[in-house]
Amino acid sequence: MALLEVRSIGVRFGGVHAVDGVSFSLHQGEILGLIGPNGAGKTTVFNTISGVRRPDAGTITFDGRQIDQLRPHQRARLGIARTFQNLLLFSDMTVLENLMVPVDAFSRRGVISDALRLPSSRYEEERAVERARAVLHFLGISGAATTRAGDLSVGLQRRVELGRALCLRPTLLLLDEPAAGLDARETAELAALLPRIRERFDLSMLLVDHDMALVMRVCDHIYVLDFGRIISEGAPQTVRDDPAVIRAYLGEQVA
Amino acid sequence: MTGDRLRRAVVALLVVVAVAAPAATSDYVRALSADAMWSGLLVLSMVVLTGFVGQISFCQYSFAAIGAFTVGSLVSGHHWSFWLAMPLGVAFAGLVGVLVGIPALRLSGLFLAILTVAVALFFDNYLLAPGTWNSFSGGLSPWQPGRPAFLGLGLSGEYAFYLFSLAVFLVCTLLVWDLRTGKVGRVLRAIRGSELAASTMGLNLTAWKLTAFGLSAAIAGLAGALSAVRIGSVSAPSYDFVHSISLAAVAIVMGAGSVGSAAAGGVFLVFGRYVLQQLSISSQYFNLIVGAGLVLQLVLTPQGLIPSMTQRLSTRFARRTDGLAAPVPAEGVNA
Repeated sequence: MALLEVRSIGVRFGGVHAVDGVSFSLHQGEILGLIGPNGAGKTTVFNTISGVRRPDAGTITFDGRQIDQLRPHQRARLGIARTFQNLLLFSDMTVLENLMVPVDAFSRRGVISDALRLPSSRYEEERAVERARAVLHFLGISGAATTRAGDLSVGLQRRVELGRALCLRPTLLLLDEPAAGLDARETAELAALLPRIRERFDLSMLLVDHDMALVMRVCDHIYVLDFGRIISEGAPQTVRDDPAVIRAYLGEQVA
Repeated sequence: MTGDRLRRAVVALLVVVAVAAPAATSDYVRALSADAMWSGLLVLSMVVLTGFVGQISFCQYSFAAIGAFTVGSLVSGHHWSFWLAMPLGVAFAGLVGVLVGIPALRLSGLFLAILTVAVALFFDNYLLAPGTWNSFSGGLSPWQPGRPAFLGLGLSGEYAFYLFSLAVFLVCTLLVWDLRTGKVGRVLRAIRGSELAASTMGLNLTAWKLTAFGLSAAIAGLAGALSAVRIGSVSAPSYDFVHSISLAAVAIVMGAGSVGSAAAGGVFLVFGRYVLQQLSISSQYFNLIVGAGLVLQLVLTPQGLIPSMTQRLSTRFARRTDGLAAPVPAEGVNA
């Protein structure tokens, strides 16, 4: 059975059907791509999975559980983590603190144990630092640990966001245009990094992007979205040669 | 770490001064110093709410009033021990803080400010209106709770009571400092940074925001309970809306992000007015000065006075020690 099942979901903004009857499934260990031109509804689909927006129709099941009505933090607790297209780091906090937040979210420390600095709190603090440092090391950005997140370049911030999501120990990682704002070299590095992340953290990924380059390189399977509907699906090669996809990206071909 | 050691040294020095200095003054100044301590607790309650989670409140004195009225009615009207009435007042205030926090969950900025103003005005005009609580306390008005004894030591002397207030203030500040540097502070700052990102990282925004409101209101309630026995009587006008406004302004001028602002803010709230009196200037000008200070601070030190001062101090100190530890490399390195 698929890890994530999206069944004919619909989202309306006023009278506009931003997403209309979209279905797809993502299997354990897969890197799934969701592509389409700007305004196709990719981010909207993405938001219904991470819980930022509830779908108006349809169902989403994750790991055998229906999740479409759950709140974002409840989905995070089930093992779904995400990054943001427009970078939402906690910019006033250090990189290390950013990565500690998802570890904190899962720890049982509360106001009383923290205020009194009980041994349990100190232990959990060390554990959070350890986990955050291990992820920073894996991503090769240990040097930035004590830097204020907002002071980093866009490329590094993307990496920190990735690290923050990984600290949640997700089974499903949702990446919203992770290559946006990256130059060609950084994009190539990211393309090499994503499969390594899958091996190391044993997770599945849903990758949303309008840039074909990254998606073609790393995805096992691709769905193409246009005007809120799936217009094509298949292996990267199949999708790239599909006339419907070419039309969507380049406009109606002149005969 | 040199920054930590410096901070500890400065705090230790300030505590010594705070313990010793009032010994050389009059009982009146000692009483004011005790006032500065509970006012400092009120600023601390703003630090938790505004500094940690980025929410504003103009009803902190209403929470204080809950602590004060609980102590007043139970100690003076029903002859309870202060040590039983005080925790009850703190718990009530915290509970009401959580209740106020519920509608505040969906509000922020200006709309939240208006909500807290409404709460303060509701308190002023209905809950704290003259006569509301007479039936509960046997018609005693105003309540006059006496000073309690602490571990067998009477706190009726002004100096003794001041030292007691100082100890309470320091313990609370320390606990809040621990929160700030631990998970709770990190989580609340994350929520202030981006609610969307915080929730997708597994944080229950509702629970954490209500925690912050409850904690803040409980600290304010403790301040109120202390104020009731410091002043020796409980009257509604001491906790009205206007006080909450100057409190919020002072907290922001001092820098709501810093725990140290609580001490500075409390001293300023009480002794600012005192200094004006000594200079034979009406203390009505106090709010004018705070207002002007707020404008200047927003222009000059957006973080607030205390954070920018500590930052300047620690960078100056760090530069000096760096110079000693690692001498500037000889010139011509680039050549």
